[in-house]
Amino acid sequence: MKILVIEDDKTTGPYIAEGLREEGHSVDLIANGADGLVQATIGQYDVIVVDRMLPGLDGMAMVKTLRGAKNRTPVLFLTTLGGVDDRIEGLNAGGDDYLVKPFAFGELSARIAALGRRPQMSDEPTVLRARDLELNLLTRRVTRAGQPIDLLPREMALLECLLRRKGRVQTRTMLLEAVWDIHFDPQTNVVETHISRLRAKVDKPFEVELIETIRGAGYRINAE
Amino acid sequence: MTARPLSTPLRLTGILIAVFVAVLLLSFAASYLVIRSSFDHNLRDQLEARMEVYLDLPSAEGRQERVLEDLANADPALILIDYRPAGRLGLSNVQTLPFADGFATLSESDISGHDIDDSYLALGLEVDGGRLTLAMTRAQMVDMAEVFVAVLLISLLPTLAISAGFGWIFARRTRLRIDKIGTVLHDLQGGNLAVRVPLDPADRDDLAAIGRAVNAMAGAQEAAMATLRQTTTDIAHDLKTPIQRVALTLDRLTRRTVLAADQREFVEQAQAETDHIAKTFDALLRIAQIEAGALRDRFKPVDMQALTHDMVEMFAASAEESGHSLTLSAPAPCTVLGDRELLGQVLANLIENGLRHVPTGGQIAVSLTQHAGQTVLTVADTGPGIPEVERANVLRRLYRLEASRSTPGNGLGLSMVAAISDLHGATLLLGDTAPGLRVTLTFPPLR
Repeated sequence: MKILVIEDDKTTGPYIAEGLREEGHSVDLIANGADGLVQATIGQYDVIVVDRMLPGLDGMAMVKTLRGAKNRTPVLFLTTLGGVDDRIEGLNAGGDDYLVKPFAFGELSARIAALGRRPQMSDEPTVLRARDLELNLLTRRVTRAGQPIDLLPREMALLECLLRRKGRVQTRTMLLEAVWDIHFDPQTNVVETHISRLRAKVDKPFEVELIETIRGAGYRINAE
Repeated sequence: MTARPLSTPLRLTGILIAVFVAVLLLSFAASYLVIRSSFDHNLRDQLEARMEVYLDLPSAEGRQERVLEDLANADPALILIDYRPAGRLGLSNVQTLPFADGFATLSESDISGHDIDDSYLALGLEVDGGRLTLAMTRAQMVDMAEVFVAVLLISLLPTLAISAGFGWIFARRTRLRIDKIGTVLHDLQGGNLAVRVPLDPADRDDLAAIGRAVNAMAGAQEAAMATLRQTTTDIAHDLKTPIQRVALTLDRLTRRTVLAADQREFVEQAQAETDHIAKTFDALLRIAQIEAGALRDRFKPVDMQALTHDMVEMFAASAEESGHSLTLSAPAPCTVLGDRELLGQVLANLIENGLRHVPTGGQIAVSLTQHAGQTVLTVADTGPGIPEVERANVLRRLYRLEASRSTPGNGLGLSMVAAISDLHGATLLLGDTAPGLRVTLTFPPLR
């Protein structure tokens, strides 16, 4: 993917750029809002990562201007502000996702991947598949190798979320947001326990493990 | 809903009008009495003078002659003469006139005769072995009373109507201005610091002065909030940026270098600590924002039945794993005006509190009930509870009971719950289930 990173911090910016390049992305790094806005307008980017507080033109104002100019490139805000309404302000300004510092690189990488390839609503599938696992979205039935699997509604939602982005990492917080619609961080390992229950039903009786744990990042459906 | 308090301006207007009417009636009554007494006096003098004329005559014959003469000219509507000496013919221009020695006021019904239709003042004396009574009409006095009443009504009623009308209008206008100040104060208290009392620069009265004072206070508060916000933003930025750098350096260490198992453990410990610092920091920031109250603008009706169900379901697996029984009783739909995210956080914090402090095998019971329109959320557990003397303390930020120092948590869970409860206008009660803890949040009814 072609990613624009607008970050003024001299440690964070290069680190993000370097990490994303290692993952095979093409990255441009810019350290202030005004230049970032110009670059975002002329370059064709898949994702833009913007620090919310930038010298010159503030990140929020920059994204508002960008959206005003009908530029729809997905934007991920980075911020030091983890307050209650800060996230909503960021999303209202036109951001698509919001990540509070400090973050693990795995979290950023997973969120950028999710933003860059958002599923097209037009070709909505009715059955989600991964190898021999099938989830029928209309009948809400799950089978693996032809055997029906009984899932609780929330386990179904969790599996659906993983299958929709199969092959890509979903972090704990991404799953909390998508499945439970909460944006605070519970201190209990709720996601872990729900995943392990899901695994016990979906993976345990079978030979191949579909739900993978990615250390330090999250979970993904191994589709290969 | 509390009853609307009595309007001060309206009450004052009412009192003023009542006092005005009372004073007017009193002064009318006083002048009527003064005039009537002087009129009465005058009548008495006339009666005495006439009586004097008869008494001055030397003989009964003379008196009889004089009475006859006077009767010829006397109009009974104005004056009555009744002379009844002993052994002689009575002379009178009236059929019956009761006799009283001295002055007496006689009403119409006491007297019978021609043209009698008023009360009379009579003077009677024993004369010539018989009785002589002179009586003069009080018609003028009665007429005067009627005139007084008419004058009173003509002057009082329009005045009363006009002053009541204007009084009501002024009182209403004042009331509206006071209401505006009240609304602004209420909004300020609710966290909306942008509201101001609308003022006309021409207004120079006391209400305008109060309005100006309220606006000045709101301005100062708004400026203070802005400064506070800027300061927290600056601090957040200045402190979290280095934390972010440390986190990135640690991240890089795990990603770029091959670490021995014990080295990895150290790095992971350091990562956990930076994470903890950042989370504590964010939680403090969130509590400060919640306490500022501005979030109320975003309130929407929240389906509490669904929310408690979701949150209990979310923690159910974790509770089972840690050997706790987590139950929910939410039989009826309940709606609370609030912020779903924050109310979810309240439930999460309370349930996690239970999971952390209740020994294995214990229970955590979440219940949602409606009571007199109020939604009551209760989370009760069978854990060690909180000693009564400590209950106020645990709501303080970063406060932790000595006994729970070793368990995870940052000591912000309950103060967050308290802040969110306050924001929603709910009352928070920490109670005892002997020995466990029962936290009760009572939300105000939906309006």
